[in-house]
Amino acid sequence: MIEFWELYKNGQWEVPFLTFSIYLFVAASLILYLIIVASRNGKIKKERLTKEYSVVIDKIMSDVVFEEIPFTEVKKDKNFLVLFDTSFFREVLTDSLINLHKNYEGVYAQKLEQFYKDSGLIKDSFKKLKSLKWEVKCKGITELSEFNIKEAFDQIIVYSKARKKTLKIVAINAAIKLEGTESIKYLVEHSDPIDDWMQLNIIGAFKKHDIGDTEGIEHLLESQNMTVVTLGLKLIKELKLSQKVPHVAQLAAQTTNTIIKYEAQSILQTLTA
Amino acid sequence: MTFFNTEITWFLDVYILLILGYAILIMSSYLILAYLSTKELRKYLKRNSFVDYDVLLTSEFAPKLSLIAPAYNEGLTIEENVKSLLSLNYNNYQVIVVNDGSKDNSMEILTKTYDLVLTDLEFHPKIETKKIRGIYTSRNAAFKKLIVVDKENGGKADALNVGLNIAQNPYVVCIDVDCILDKDSLLKLAKPFLESYGKRIIATGGVVRIANQCVIKNGRLVEVNVPDVMLSRIQVLEYLRAFLLGRMAWGKLDGLLLISGAFGAFDKEIAILSGGYSTKTVGEDMELIVRMRRYMLDNKLSYSVSYIPDPLCWTEAPEDFKIFKKQRSRWMRGTIETLSIHRRMFLNPKYKLLGMLSVPYWTLFEFLAPAIEFIGLVITAVFILFGLLNWHFFFLLLLFVYTFAVLFSVIALYSEEKTYHKYPKQADFFKLLMAAFIEPFYFHPLTVYAALIGYKEKMMGTKGWGEMTRKGFTKK
Repeated sequence: MIEFWELYKNGQWEVPFLTFSIYLFVAASLILYLIIVASRNGKIKKERLTKEYSVVIDKIMSDVVFEEIPFTEVKKDKNFLVLFDTSFFREVLTDSLINLHKNYEGVYAQKLEQFYKDSGLIKDSFKKLKSLKWEVKCKGITELSEFNIKEAFDQIIVYSKARKKTLKIVAINAAIKLEGTESIKYLVEHSDPIDDWMQLNIIGAFKKHDIGDTEGIEHLLESQNMTVVTLGLKLIKELKLSQKVPHVAQLAAQTTNTIIKYEAQSILQTLTA
Repeated sequence: MTFFNTEITWFLDVYILLILGYAILIMSSYLILAYLSTKELRKYLKRNSFVDYDVLLTSEFAPKLSLIAPAYNEGLTIEENVKSLLSLNYNNYQVIVVNDGSKDNSMEILTKTYDLVLTDLEFHPKIETKKIRGIYTSRNAAFKKLIVVDKENGGKADALNVGLNIAQNPYVVCIDVDCILDKDSLLKLAKPFLESYGKRIIATGGVVRIANQCVIKNGRLVEVNVPDVMLSRIQVLEYLRAFLLGRMAWGKLDGLLLISGAFGAFDKEIAILSGGYSTKTVGEDMELIVRMRRYMLDNKLSYSVSYIPDPLCWTEAPEDFKIFKKQRSRWMRGTIETLSIHRRMFLNPKYKLLGMLSVPYWTLFEFLAPAIEFIGLVITAVFILFGLLNWHFFFLLLLFVYTFAVLFSVIALYSEEKTYHKYPKQADFFKLLMAAFIEPFYFHPLTVYAALIGYKEKMMGTKGWGEMTRKGFTKK
């Protein structure tokens, strides 16, 4: 550095600067090239392993779902145990399990839930909730809610107040799946605005998980936060909750906010038509 | 004579200092933007992996969109292109195809294929346009989303303004009819309009990529390939650099001056209040964004322009130099016109980041760069002629610029590898890597030449787009 400063002072810095920069650019290009090659090889290896694991997993899942073989039997297979020790295999297994669970209902779904608990994959999911990385937390929340682990509700609902918006949305969606309206009651006291995207996600979660019990949604209309009131109105409209008409009518009569008044009147018209 | 020598030495010193200073400034700005882009891109991808776009598909509260697709002599591909626009993953949208006085059989094809009939659609034009010959809708319920407007030729901007006048929804998506859109492109483009509370999102734009030699099936891209033709291959690399390493950073800084005319969504009300597309420039896409931003800033309204880094739109790049030259000279004219119309914004603190950074950046590195390069070449030639050139230094400088150009392309390839990984074939990767080495000698001089033609055309008062013939995509 001192040498370079001396060169600069002598007015002879250009050539060493250019030479150094050229070496730097070449070295950086070479390093990046090697990283790209390594990354591509890594992806190829991952793809190959996923294919190999999928064959094993498909066989196990078929046994579990259709042959009623419990996990205690599955783990007697030494090859399986070796694979089960690797985190990537567990990752692929969890993803397969989730995909299957999304496609099955009733007894088959219950068998998959049982496998998730017995195999200890549930512990992995709970561990993910404690991660410092929000995206890992999101993954854990998604897994736990997919398999209807109601015991996770108390931990998940905490994240519905997180500052990270994505984590917040994932947590609320999961909580709605697990406990329905119970999970949005706290929104009545919510002071921050809830944007349209988050509102759409909450409505989407109610529709997707077919939440029948809508007791308490009307409390959203009592909030001082206008975005929460809007959410309440939208929920009532989308879920066609005609039993909430008296609450909407009351809001339309009492509110001083013209936009809310207009929205409430429009919903009243739709629901009473 | 001694005095003369001293003068030359002084001039040489200053010249070298200026050249190096400019090169270092441009390189540093590229690297800073690349760093910001890569960082933001990773964050976006993490966030996006937990986004459920289905909520937009199933909700009546999803933003209502009007797609505006101007068409001029697109007879060869219009049937399939409109079909693909009608089959996008979205519910609340309509498609407005504006036939801008095509001389071919576009209108007949549309009428026959979509069973069109004249309709008395009521609308109140807010922007002045060329005369509309007729508005058509389909008798077939399957095409109820489609409106076709037949109008007198007035250029792309005029056709888009007709679309703005007719659009019934609060958001308009302006597209090139010959582009191939990703099936979920509207879902991704619409989401930002819902996200910002208190700040009005006035526009969102997506990434455009090159579709030459890619395989298209039923209006959808099914296989991504890197073109064999070097000119279009290098454009793949160029688009990767521009969209992955540049625009994402400008998006993060909220200083984007351009949303590609090939695919962008706008808040209709603000677009109309700003006066719609300007028919006086060939860079109408850039000019509209700058004007909309200027409108918001002049009226002290809180706003933002959003950028989606996902590859949502695939377009055909010119494969021969003649068409490439026309395209790039037009781009340069568009840049000059936009910067000239909005010259008051230059270094004007009233326009915040836009005035203090975005506009000066575009002026210095987009508009002036080819001129500076050309002047540099002329001075170098003069030095050679008078035997003044220090060849050692010259080659060192050349190598400095060349190695940086290669490095920057490799950074783009790295970013692509770590994010979208759209070119998984080894052969494609090596084709792009080879293009990075060839580009500075082959492609870059062509772009500078085309830009100089753009300067000349602007000075000569050339207007209009000129014909841009397309080859059409490989279909399966």
